[in-house]
Amino acid sequence: MESSRDDFVIAIRSAFLKKGNQQRFSLLSLILFSIIFLILGNFNNKVVNFNKTIIKEIIYLSSFIVTIPENLIRKSFNTTADHFEYYNKYVITKNELQELKNKDLSKKIIVYENIELKKLIDDYFIEDSQVYAKVLLDKESPFLRSIIINKGSKNGIKPGMAVYEDIYLIGKVVEVNYITSRVLLISDLNFKLPITIQPLDIEAIMSGHDQQNGKLQYIRGEKIIDENDKELGVVTSGSGGVFKSGIPVGTIDLTNTSKNDEIIVNFYRDFTQLKYVKILSYKKESTQLDQNNKIEFEERSKQIIEINSQDKDIKVLQQQKIINEEIRNKFEIENTKLKENLINTQKEVEKQKNKLKEIQVSNQDIEFLELNLLYGHKCRKTFLRPKLFKINTLEYRTCVLSKEIVKNN
Amino acid sequence: MENTKKNIRSFLYKNTPVILLFTSILNEIDFNNLEYKYFSFNFAYILIFYYNLKRDGGIGYAYIFIAGLFNDVMNGIPMGISSLCYLLLCAAAVYLRNITLRPNIIKSWIFFLISILVLNFITFTYLILFFSYEINHFNQMINIFFTFLFYLIFTYLFKIYDNNILGSSN
Repeated sequence: MESSRDDFVIAIRSAFLKKGNQQRFSLLSLILFSIIFLILGNFNNKVVNFNKTIIKEIIYLSSFIVTIPENLIRKSFNTTADHFEYYNKYVITKNELQELKNKDLSKKIIVYENIELKKLIDDYFIEDSQVYAKVLLDKESPFLRSIIINKGSKNGIKPGMAVYEDIYLIGKVVEVNYITSRVLLISDLNFKLPITIQPLDIEAIMSGHDQQNGKLQYIRGEKIIDENDKELGVVTSGSGGVFKSGIPVGTIDLTNTSKNDEIIVNFYRDFTQLKYVKILSYKKESTQLDQNNKIEFEERSKQIIEINSQDKDIKVLQQQKIINEEIRNKFEIENTKLKENLINTQKEVEKQKNKLKEIQVSNQDIEFLELNLLYGHKCRKTFLRPKLFKINTLEYRTCVLSKEIVKNN
Repeated sequence: MENTKKNIRSFLYKNTPVILLFTSILNEIDFNNLEYKYFSFNFAYILIFYYNLKRDGGIGYAYIFIAGLFNDVMNGIPMGISSLCYLLLCAAAVYLRNITLRPNIIKSWIFFLISILVLNFITFTYLILFFSYEINHFNQMINIFFTFLFYLIFTYLFKIYDNNILGSSN
């Protein structure tokens, strides 16, 4: 019994204390060193923090260098895949663009009105600072879903700043070093985000759930989501004052939600494809409605009313224009018909004139023939009157007609 | 020429585990947290345990300590916890090596399971009690299970590498 205990002690001692072949430190000393690291990590001391920052900077940069080949391979693979999907995406994007263009005008008016209303209720934030950063590392830790970005305190980054990709919220800054920072993604289990479900206007807290989606917590027990709902958006509610309200986050996954009791949120962005992010901080616009602000507010209100009235006038004018165009078209059609009628009438007149001429000629001939019967012998050339004219000549005809004129005189 | 080949083989024999360890920790593709919902395993645990069990001075303790720090910083957990776990795993491997006269893969496999269960218990306890981390225990159980399962596969692969690729420098 004692010998087996001795063996155990010897083996343990050998494992912890004996420096193995080519080992410079014993295990025990390094284990103690690790424990010291853990204990010091709990202290918020300037020197400790400075050393931690230096170690982190070195590790992030070395990791960035190590991941260059891997990122190159991944990038070329993604580029090839994108190329094959390019045409389909183009068609979809074209259709979407058309739809969005149609929606754009009404959205602008709503945005202006929204700003005015938010100012009235003292909830209007304006951008204080905006920094763009590149994602250095996307280490998918099992304990913390976060990314490392290449901007730090040197660039004015502060803990708590909101991080976006495009207009969508993706996380917040939780750790700031001199030239790098860590961003906690909203897909992390520890991220608690106050949100509002639109258009139902229900408030809840969202936390990360799985690899790529979120889960709603602290929501009323009854079934709030109807199966007939088409699309339910999730936006920040602004409660707590960390984020401003109305930042788009994702949509409710209605297929999974109807099956389970859990309400799942699908994010707008794929967090595995993050490349560049935007870090923003907000501040409240000075909201005291002093005299100048009141005047400005009234002016803007007037402008909105004016724009609305102009919009109405434009609509009336557009309707008038449509009516005028219809009338013009009718006139054009009638005009064409009248022109055709005129041409036909002119042709008929020409015909009648010709007929009249013919009748006149025939009347003259009849008159000549009558006179010829009466006076033809006085003009006809005979043996006894050689000085007179031959029949069917112009002189003969003139002679016959002149006899009638002489008689009338 | 023969001498150079021998030097390269010797260098690979000594440093392959260290290179593998640092690459697995610093790379973005982490076996410890893959995209699959029910599949992940801790490659570093397998590597450290195997090489410290099989070789005297397989991976330098200082390297393991630094690798642990790197892992903590990369994963955003308190600095020192991974180093402590890695070094305790080394201690377990060295202890097993010291008490073993006839190596048996099944025994070392079971010992590995007990070791990683203890180490994960230490990690989770520390993170939950001192730092109030929320941990998905189901995913972690899957991780432990696959780490345990893959130990055999990687043992086989490492043996092939050591025997066939590096050859006589063993």
